[in-house]
Amino acid sequence: MELVIFVMTAIVAIIGAIAMLTSRNAVHSALFLLLNFGAIAILYLLLQAPFLFAVQLIVYAGAIIVLFLFVVMLLGAERDEEDANPIRWQAPVAITMAVLLVGEIIWVLVRQSQDSIARVGSSDSDFGSPAQIAQALFTTHLLPFEVASFVLLTALIGVVVLHQRRS
Amino acid sequence: MLPTIFYIGLSAVLFVIGVCGVLLRRSTLMVFMSIELMLNSANLALVTFANQRQSLDAQIMVFFVITIAAAEVAVGLALLVMIFMRKQTTNIDTMTTLKG
Amino acid sequence: MTQIAWLIALIPAFPLAGFLLNVFLVRGERANGTVASLSIVAAFITTVIAVINLAGLAVESRYIAITLWDWLSVGQVTVSFGLWFDPLTAVMALLITGVGALIHIYSITYMHGDSRPGRYFAYLNLFVFAMLILVMSDNLFLLFLGWEGVGLCSFLLIGHWFDRKQVAPNIVPSEAAAKAFVANRVGDAGLLLAMMVIVSHFGTLSFFGSDGISGFVSKLTDASFTTISLGALGNVGLVSGIAFLMILGVVGKSAQLPLFVWLPDAMAGPTPVSALIHAATMVTAGVYLIVRTHVAFDLAPDASGWVVIIGATTALIGATAAVTQFDIKRVLAYSTISQLGFMIAAAGMGAYTAAIFHLLTHGLFKALLFLGSGAIIHGMHDVQDMRRMGGLRKHMPVIFLVYSVGALALSGIFPLAGFWSKDEIITHAWFSAQNVNVTMVLLLSSLLTAFYMGRQVALTFAGEVRDKDAHPHEALGTMKWPLYILAVASVLGGLINLPGVHWLNDWLNPVLHQEAELFTLNMGIFATVTVLLAAGAGYLGYRIYSSPITERLAPGDEDPAHYYLGDIWKGFEMGWGVDYVYQRIFVKPYRTFATFLHDVFDQQAIDGILVEGSAGMVGRFSQAVARLQNGNVRTYALVFLIGVVVLVGYIVIGV
Repeated sequence: MELVIFVMTAIVAIIGAIAMLTSRNAVHSALFLLLNFGAIAILYLLLQAPFLFAVQLIVYAGAIIVLFLFVVMLLGAERDEEDANPIRWQAPVAITMAVLLVGEIIWVLVRQSQDSIARVGSSDSDFGSPAQIAQALFTTHLLPFEVASFVLLTALIGVVVLHQRRS
Repeated sequence: MLPTIFYIGLSAVLFVIGVCGVLLRRSTLMVFMSIELMLNSANLALVTFANQRQSLDAQIMVFFVITIAAAEVAVGLALLVMIFMRKQTTNIDTMTTLKG
Repeated sequence: MTQIAWLIALIPAFPLAGFLLNVFLVRGERANGTVASLSIVAAFITTVIAVINLAGLAVESRYIAITLWDWLSVGQVTVSFGLWFDPLTAVMALLITGVGALIHIYSITYMHGDSRPGRYFAYLNLFVFAMLILVMSDNLFLLFLGWEGVGLCSFLLIGHWFDRKQVAPNIVPSEAAAKAFVANRVGDAGLLLAMMVIVSHFGTLSFFGSDGISGFVSKLTDASFTTISLGALGNVGLVSGIAFLMILGVVGKSAQLPLFVWLPDAMAGPTPVSALIHAATMVTAGVYLIVRTHVAFDLAPDASGWVVIIGATTALIGATAAVTQFDIKRVLAYSTISQLGFMIAAAGMGAYTAAIFHLLTHGLFKALLFLGSGAIIHGMHDVQDMRRMGGLRKHMPVIFLVYSVGALALSGIFPLAGFWSKDEIITHAWFSAQNVNVTMVLLLSSLLTAFYMGRQVALTFAGEVRDKDAHPHEALGTMKWPLYILAVASVLGGLINLPGVHWLNDWLNPVLHQEAELFTLNMGIFATVTVLLAAGAGYLGYRIYSSPITERLAPGDEDPAHYYLGDIWKGFEMGWGVDYVYQRIFVKPYRTFATFLHDVFDQQAIDGILVEGSAGMVGRFSQAVARLQNGNVRTYALVFLIGVVVLVGYIVIGV
C-alpha cells in the first residue's frame, strides 16, 4: 500500500518538477512548483513527519509560492526570454553532468551495505508530532531557534531597507 | 517502511532536475524556483534519514532549513525586483559584472 | 752596461706612454698631435743614442739584450719579455722611429679638423710601439705579440673613418679594415704553426737566448737533417717545414701572392697611415722575419725557392696593376706590393743585405710619395682620382718637386736611392743567383715601375687641370718639413750601401754574415743598361700620358691603353683577379650564409618560434582560460557543477 502511494506521489513530484522546468510561462512554472511542494509534503507524511508536512504546506506552498507569483505579476515576466542561448554547449554539458551526478549518487547508495538502507520500523507513533518537535525545539535547540528568528528579522528589515525611497 | 534508497533516489532526481533548471533557464525567477526545488530535495533526504534513524534532530534541521529558505526567498526576490527596475529584464545572461 | 740596456727598454716605452696619455689624459687635437709626435721623436733620439752605443761594442758581441720580466712558463718552455738590440734591429728601429716621427708631424696638419684626432694619434703611437716590439723582441713569441699588434693597429687605423659609407674609390672603410685583418689572420695561422713546431722541437722560442747561443736559431743547423713525418704525405724536413709555415705568415703580413688583396683596399685609411703602415713599416715585418731567421731559409732551399717565386710573381702583379690605376693612392699601394715582392725575392735568393737595403730606401721614398699624395689630396679638397687632376705643377710647385724626387727614386734612376738598392737586387739575381727567369721578371717589373711613375706624374702634374671645378692650392704648414727631409733622404739614401763602400753590409755583417759582393765591370754595364731602360720607360710613360689624348680624361673614362689592350688591361687593373676569386669563393657564400642565418634562422626560428612562440602560447593559453571568466553566472554554475561531479566521482571511486 505504502509503495503505491509512494510511487504515485513520486511520479507527481517528478512531473511537477519537469513541467516547472520546461514551462514557457512563469505562472505555470510557479503552479507546477506548487504541485511539487504538495507532493513532497505528502511524502513527509509518509515519513512520519506530520509537523513538517504542515510547515511545508504553510510556509512553502502558502508563502513562498505566493511571493513568487507576486513578483511574477509585478515584473510582468510571464513570458520567457526568447533570445538564443549564447553558450551553445551549455545544455548538453549540463544535462550530461546532471545525469552523471544522479548516477553517482545511486551508485553510492546501491553499493552501501544492506543494513544501512534497511527499512526502519516505526516504533514510536508519536514520532515527529508537534509535541515532540516543540519539546526538542525549545530545549535542546533553543539557540538556533532564537538565531533563526533573528535571521527572519534581519531579512525583514533588509527587504524594507532595500526598497526605501530616498527622501 | 520502504527502503530508504527509494526516497533518496527520488531526492537525487529532484535535485538534479533543479540543477538543470539553474543551468538552463535564462530567467532569474526560474533560477530561483529551481533553487527552491533543490532545497526541497535536500529536505526530503533529511526527513528520510530522520525516519531511518528515528532521530528528531534531522527534522529540526529541516524546520530551520525551511525557515532560512523563506528568508532567503524574500530577500532574493526583493533584490531581483530592484535589478529589474534597473535593467528592465530578468535575463541572467545580462548580469555580467562579475566578468574578468 | 745596464744603463745602456735600460735605454733599449726606453725605446718602445715612449710610444707606449704616448698611447696611454692620448687615451686617458690628453684631450684636444693640438695636444694629441703634439704628445704623439714628441713621444716618437723621443724614441728616435733614444734609438740614435742606442745605435751610437751599439757601435761602440766589439763586433763579435754587438748586441744589447735586456729581459724585462718572465712572461710565461709552461713546463720546460719559458717565454720572457725580453728586448734585443743588434745591428739589424738598429736599422729597423731607426727607420720606424725616424719615418714615424716625420709622419706624426705631418699628421698634425693633415688631420686638422678630423672628428676623432685623439683616437688617431693614440693608435698611431700604439702602432709604433707594437712595431718596435716586433723588431726588438728576442723571442718569436714576443715578436708575434708585435706582429698581431701591428695587424690590430692597421685594422683600427684603416677603419679610422668607420662612419663613412664610402671613401673614394668605392671602398667602405670598415670593410677594408676587416679585410686587412682577416688576410693578416690567415697568414698568422702559418706563423703560429711554425712557432709550435719550433717550440716542440727546440724547446725555446728565443732567437738567440740571452747569451747569444742558446736560442733556436743556433740549433737550426744541427737540425738540418731532422724530418717530420706527415704519415701518408711522406716526410718533410723540419727546417723546411718551419720555413714554409713562416712563409705563410710573411705572405699575409707583407701582402704577397696570394694574400695581397687587402693592401689596395687599405687605402681607405688616412694617407699618413698608408705612408707609415703600408709603405715603411708594417708590411716590411715579413721581410724582417725572414732576415731574422735567415738560417732556416739558408738550410731549406726548397722553401727559399718558393720565396723567390712568390716575391718575383708578386712584383710583376703589383707593377702591372699599378700601371692601370686611376686613384693616386692605389697606384702607390700596388707599387708597394711590387716593391715588397722585390724585397721578398731578394731574401729568397739569399741577398739579405740587399733586401734590408731596399727595405730602408723604399721606406724613405715610398713614405715621401704617400705624404706627397696626401698633400695633393689635401690641396685638392679630398679628390683622389687622377683623372680630375693635371696641371698641378703650376699650382703646387713644392709638391711637384718632392714628388718628382720620390718618383725618380722609385724608378731607380741614378743616383737616387732607389737605383742602388733595386739594382743590387737585380744584379744579384743575374750574377749571383744565375736565375734568368727571376732576373727577367724583376727587370720587367722595374721597367713597369718607371713607366707607371711617369704616367702618374704626367697625369697629376702635367698639362692643365682637367676638373674645371677644382681649386687646387698648396697649403702645407708642418707638412713641408717631413716632405723636405724625406726628399733629401731619398736622394742621399744610396750612400749607406754603395758598392765598394758598403757601410750597411759591414754594419749588418755580425747578424747576417754576408760578405759584400765584389763590384765588377759586368755589374756596372748591367746596371747602366737597366738604368737606361728604366729612364726610357719612365720618359715613355710621361710622354704618353701628358700628350693630348689625356686632356679630356674625366672620372668614369677608361684609360686610353685599354682600347688597345682590351681585357688584359682590365685583368691587370683587378690585380690579376685574385680579389675577384676570393669574393666569389669565400666572401659571397659566407655573406649569403650569414644573411640566411639572420633572416631565416635567427628571426624566424629563434625569434618567431622560440621567443614569440612561447610567449604567444602563454598568451593564448591564458586567453582560453580567461574565457571561463565571462561574467555569465550560468557558466560559473556549470563549472561549479562539473567540479562537484568530479569530486563526488572521486569519492565514489573510493567506495
